[in-house]
Amino acid sequence: MTFFHRPLIGFLERGFRSQVDDLFRALRFMLARWMHGLVFFWGLSQGLAAGPVHFTRDVRPLLSDFCFECHGPDDRTRKAELRLDSETALKKVASPEAGRRRSILLERLLSDDPEEQMPPASFRRKLSDEQRNQIVEWIESGAEVSRHWAFDPPERPEVPAVETRFVVRNEIDAFVLDRLGESGLEPSPEADWETLMRRVSLDLLGLPMEAETWRRFKQLGPSSYAQLVDRLLDDPRFGEHQAYSWLEASRYADTDGYQNDRYRYQSAWRDWVIKAFNDNLPYDQFLIDQIAGDLLPGATLTQQIATGFSRNHRINSEDGSIPAEWHVENVADRVDTVGTVFMGLTLGCARCHDHKYDPISQRDYFALFAYFNSIAEWGVGPNNGNSPPFVRVPASWPELSPEENHFSEPDPVKLTRARKEAGNGLRRPQAGGTNTVMVLHELATPRETYLLQRGQYDLPDKGQRIEPDTPVSLGLRLNDLPKNRLGLAQWLTHPENPLTSRVAVNRFWQQIFGIGLVKTSENFGAQGEYPVNPALLDWLAVRFVESGWNVKGLLRHLVMSATYRQRSIMTAPHRLLDPENRLLARGARYRLPAPVLRDQALAVGGLLVDQRYGRSAKPYMPPKIWKAFSNNVYQRDTGANLYRRSLYTYWRRTIPPPTMVNFNAANREVCSVRLERTNTPLQALTLMNNVTFVEAARALAANAFLAHADLESQLRLMVSRCLGRFPDDAELAILKQVYGAALMEFDDEPSRVEALLRVGDSASVGGEGRAKLAALTMVATTVMNMDEFISKQ
Amino acid sequence: MESNRRHFFESSGLGLGAMAFASLLKSEAASAQASTSPRPLAHYAPKAKRLIYLFQSGGPPQMDLFDYKPGLQGLAGQEVPKSIYPDERKTTMTSAQTAFPVVPSQFKFKRHGQSGMPITEIMPWLGSCSDEICLIKSLRTTAINHDPAITSMLTGAAIPGRPSMGAWLSYGLGAESANLPTFVAMSSRGTGGGGQPLYDRLWGSGFLPSVHQGVKFRNNGAPVLDIYDPNGVTTSMRRSMLDGLSSLNKKHFLRYGDPEIQTRIAQYELAFRMQTSVPELVDFQRERASVLDSYGPDVHKQGTYAHNCLMARRLVERGVRFVQLFHQGWDTHGDLPKRLRRQCQDTDRPTAALLKDLKSLGLLDDTLVVWGGEFGRTVYGQGKITSETYGRDHHPSCFSVWLAGGGIRGGLVYGKTDDYSVNVAENPVEIHDLHATLLHLLGFDHEKLIYPFQGRDFRLTDVSGTVKHDWLT
Repeated sequence: MTFFHRPLIGFLERGFRSQVDDLFRALRFMLARWMHGLVFFWGLSQGLAAGPVHFTRDVRPLLSDFCFECHGPDDRTRKAELRLDSETALKKVASPEAGRRRSILLERLLSDDPEEQMPPASFRRKLSDEQRNQIVEWIESGAEVSRHWAFDPPERPEVPAVETRFVVRNEIDAFVLDRLGESGLEPSPEADWETLMRRVSLDLLGLPMEAETWRRFKQLGPSSYAQLVDRLLDDPRFGEHQAYSWLEASRYADTDGYQNDRYRYQSAWRDWVIKAFNDNLPYDQFLIDQIAGDLLPGATLTQQIATGFSRNHRINSEDGSIPAEWHVENVADRVDTVGTVFMGLTLGCARCHDHKYDPISQRDYFALFAYFNSIAEWGVGPNNGNSPPFVRVPASWPELSPEENHFSEPDPVKLTRARKEAGNGLRRPQAGGTNTVMVLHELATPRETYLLQRGQYDLPDKGQRIEPDTPVSLGLRLNDLPKNRLGLAQWLTHPENPLTSRVAVNRFWQQIFGIGLVKTSENFGAQGEYPVNPALLDWLAVRFVESGWNVKGLLRHLVMSATYRQRSIMTAPHRLLDPENRLLARGARYRLPAPVLRDQALAVGGLLVDQRYGRSAKPYMPPKIWKAFSNNVYQRDTGANLYRRSLYTYWRRTIPPPTMVNFNAANREVCSVRLERTNTPLQALTLMNNVTFVEAARALAANAFLAHADLESQLRLMVSRCLGRFPDDAELAILKQVYGAALMEFDDEPSRVEALLRVGDSASVGGEGRAKLAALTMVATTVMNMDEFISKQ
Repeated sequence: MESNRRHFFESSGLGLGAMAFASLLKSEAASAQASTSPRPLAHYAPKAKRLIYLFQSGGPPQMDLFDYKPGLQGLAGQEVPKSIYPDERKTTMTSAQTAFPVVPSQFKFKRHGQSGMPITEIMPWLGSCSDEICLIKSLRTTAINHDPAITSMLTGAAIPGRPSMGAWLSYGLGAESANLPTFVAMSSRGTGGGGQPLYDRLWGSGFLPSVHQGVKFRNNGAPVLDIYDPNGVTTSMRRSMLDGLSSLNKKHFLRYGDPEIQTRIAQYELAFRMQTSVPELVDFQRERASVLDSYGPDVHKQGTYAHNCLMARRLVERGVRFVQLFHQGWDTHGDLPKRLRRQCQDTDRPTAALLKDLKSLGLLDDTLVVWGGEFGRTVYGQGKITSETYGRDHHPSCFSVWLAGGGIRGGLVYGKTDDYSVNVAENPVEIHDLHATLLHLLGFDHEKLIYPFQGRDFRLTDVSGTVKHDWLT
């Protein structure tokens, strides 16, 4: 092992004295490794695999990609009666005992004849030689098969023993080090204290530290890290930050999402989420309340409101619509969302036919559909307002008194018909006002569920009445559970459920480290990624369940690890061997998500208004943002609502806030658990010119201007607010240049000063030296566009 | 150790580190460019290099514009037979009407060009281009409402979530211009007012990387959001701010080594170039007077269809691959004759001017132009019907669109509808057929332009679509 590592370790130790030399060494080393027969580059591109062929990691994904379309779970499209997705069927053709069938399989795989070869020449993708060899190697070495890894319940793996020269703060580090052992990389040293303080604050609160706290902890030093973490976890702004990605996963919005995109009032549900995170509601209860809070014995109003989760889907209210059609879409959206966020499965694929890759039949799909099919709702919404069922929200929400916190029976649907005399045949339900929230509520008599052919609302297969049930071939048959949503929730949170805990810990991991242990956090099925560190994922999943699904405990464990605390500097070996940082030989470094960018800017400018809960806020938007191509007018707020955290920003689904979307915020049309991170010129334009960011720069400059009389102190203050560290001399020199150039132009033309200092609604500082203040604003905007400022590192 | 390294870089001047950095920066800038402009994926030589889609939002009435049905005059006022138009295919907006009487078009038709293509009298300018266009009368959809119908037309699926056509083209074709987006969307509203709303998803990237999403040019104020510097900030101030920013970021790169920092530096420079190129783009002063005239007087008004048509030409000239125009106001449930006249007045002349302008510049040979909406309208009347006025409801089972330009057989009329303009009688065309043909002209096999998402290979044409070779030269 050490033999392999030495050249690269040298690389790290000696720094960059001779990049070229070291690059050659690294290449030579890899070439040597290659010649040892290890397909190194290929391994890197395949989830950084190494070692002999492994069925679930290497072979099954290939079979899934190249074979399942014709030889997979879907009965209707299966060719040649050959099935390659089930373990038993696979054994029959690939195992040494399969005899003639096995030789045919090998012949077809290796054939050059376009008539014979598999996958056929006409298939839209080509199996590479390496891939083909892997399958062949697997067959020749005995064709060992096992079930898809994610469908067996996780078992707690042994924590690996690792070399003592590395820092191990908790079990995570042992698993990470163990995985690193095969790669040629070693862990990075801990980040410096200032960097780490900023990182953990942005990760847990989504905000930079306040000046006072920063000064205190800076003085206390790295030994106060645990204290800092606990303080952040107890901060009520923690729940707001955690809520944001759940709002995206739950496609939460302030409008209905189709055509005229009518208004709805669902903020009470959003506030439930914030409070649930702050109260550290155990994740199993978090799930149960949202899927079936209304069905719990002795359900409270709080639990009822939690079920708003399954009402966050779009609702069509376009005139001319057919309610039965859109009713099916609503129910399907609930199933798909539960599938993605809790199960990590693409259930929607099984709506029209059996799933092509995973063992989910169309019948399984409609059995899940049946759980959500009997809500006392109507397929088309009212024009503006909440669609039934909804309940009234007390003014004290979410801090209810015990007397207020009791179950509330929603009114049944009452239909009326507008413009009947004009021939309009559409009936619409009553609308809930601003003091209501949409919830789940069962009909007294359930609707009958049938399998819908091709998933179409008007093609029910009346021969197949379907009862609510969990997917048969995922196993875990629990017959004593109620056949309703509560039963589904209990099945999902059962300790033996193979998916729920893994999917959850993976998503929290993704949030902290930027990329999941399973990169495809939305898909744990056959087409999803094999975990980069399966043992770590399973260990975390088991521990999560055993801890009582303790979310704060899990996050604490992640950020307390040495893995998390590493510095995020990317050396040449990192770039070469693990550019995506899947192995975590360094800390995570990436551009901050949309809401954090805006909140951070408001915070460093001292503009942020820390006001929790309540109706959504309407901050600055471009002029006529709605009117330009819809029939509504955006009336922006004034005062405090301009400066509240981004999770309170009014979300119109068909025209979402462009500055948020520009930074890859989810559009909230459907659920979304994994976001891209792009780097575009439009982002640069936003950060340089958008009123929110310019106003924040102006406010930051004003604070520095009032606090200090000399330029250097002003610059030091601004940089420390933004970056959590003081500037060095070179940086000061650059900033002084920017300042000087700007000041010259402001002195030349005083009207420019007033123009810039009037950007945004907040009051501007009066008095002497306003040209200097304007120049300082240019410096502030420079700092606030630095890659360091807009990144977590 | 860390400080040694920094010291080395900072003091080395023209040493190895600085040089390595300079060359890295160069190649990273190039690869940043490459990431926004992927290598074209074209499967064969394209007939067209770019597409202008003139989307007529709301559902233009086919029998009043292109689907000439003189025989309907004799059936005026008679009930449309249920065998032709079953109740279950009517929207709930008119399903409770007591009668469904035939309402013939109030407009005369004129035959134009060598083919004698019949076109409504209220589109005289387009008539003069009939030899350039291929008229398709037999397109049909399954959606009866605006949202699913327009979403189908532009993303290939009725339920939101798929990438828009322009995003697919951006993904396939890559960028041609360094300073302008690959895919631009613009909208305008008829002077008759109203109009059905549009939504971001119509130019969205769905599950494709978001770099492929269309940039919506705004129809008031700055065309691109935040393109102008804040009030009081001059270009030279911006330049010196960017120089400072670039030095700070380079310094940070030397310490952190993350190539994203280099990309960021390049993107700020690109943003700065866009700040120059966009004002030049929207400035019509250097257009010839005769060209400006041809688009009609509205061409000078930002946010009009005429303005957007000329802008479309200027965009494709500068390397934009796909320009998606939307014109709202075709949703004529009532007062159709008056409103339709207004719509045609607003759009007919600029549409024809665009075709002629492209042609005179030699761009029409490899620019594809599409005109059409999300569905047609019912032959039966909606609401009050008099000798002067009538309305029509949404109609999915047949509607007319036309194509022109790169690779298209001008003067062709394709497909037939029944005597009522209700059902397709000959050569039906599905939306996926239209998409497959457009992709074909742009150089793509629609079955191979795929993107894997959630474990499945997706394409614009989902699981169907046939290229209509009859339309092609």
